[in-house]
Amino acid sequence: MRTIALLTASILLLVNTSCVQKTYKKTVLFSLDVSKIKNIKTVGIRGWDNPLSWNNDYPMKEIVKDSLYQAIVTGKTGRICTEFKFSINNKVELEGKENRKVYFDAKNDTTKVSFVFDK
Amino acid sequence: MKLITTITNPILMPHWLLDVLLTIPRITCGYLLTVEFGSPKFGLPWSNPDNGLGLFEVAFWFPQDVAQYGSIFAIAPVFFAWMGAFAEGVGGIILALGIQTRISGFLIMCTMLVAMFMQQWNEGIWMMLPAMGFLWIGMFYMILGSGRFGIDYLFTKKTVK
Repeated sequence: MRTIALLTASILLLVNTSCVQKTYKKTVLFSLDVSKIKNIKTVGIRGWDNPLSWNNDYPMKEIVKDSLYQAIVTGKTGRICTEFKFSINNKVELEGKENRKVYFDAKNDTTKVSFVFDK
Repeated sequence: MKLITTITNPILMPHWLLDVLLTIPRITCGYLLTVEFGSPKFGLPWSNPDNGLGLFEVAFWFPQDVAQYGSIFAIAPVFFAWMGAFAEGVGGIILALGIQTRISGFLIMCTMLVAMFMQQWNEGIWMMLPAMGFLWIGMFYMILGSGRFGIDYLFTKKTVK
């Protein structure tokens, strides 16, 4: 009986001390070079972490016509990185290849990254 | 002490080969639970560092998922998330090693009941199959204990009949 009480107390202590992973607000500024692609209608990002999803595009804005798109993505996460892919006209890049991965800047809230579509 | 011994004592098969057979699903499922299912949501030494989890920390997204089950889970989502993640992460490794096998079996069984009825119920029987599989595994080892090839047997060898 004493052992069970001790075991229960230990579990409750662990639950209350270790508990839930802390989250931090992280922002990523994505820049995408699309200069090699023709007939662009929509450009977006898909990924794991909220607000990204693998089903729908997170829209990117055209900064330089037919050349450069950008998006600012902000979310709360406990992870140290995020995984994603870009899509053009609803076609996701790097088919059959691993997701792109960006590690968040540990010192700043905002991480800036640049990529070329499908490379 | 007697209760602990009773819980720890495994039921032995008539032949050691049968115990070998029973060890295979125990180690396989224990490994899968702790490495594939537990470690992404519970901080363990073998968790992927990209997840940023401290030791015995439950992933930030898991209590939010648990709260969506409603009823009692919405009242204490952190407790239920922690217990569920603990059952998979720690329960999995102690099941594989055969340490307090009946307790790990019980924890796994409870977790899988919640997964089946609160998480996968609306997704259809096919989606419920993984949780259902682990539910039976938890139930069998809760009854049998570790068998001859587990740590529990080493500690209770003298008292096993």
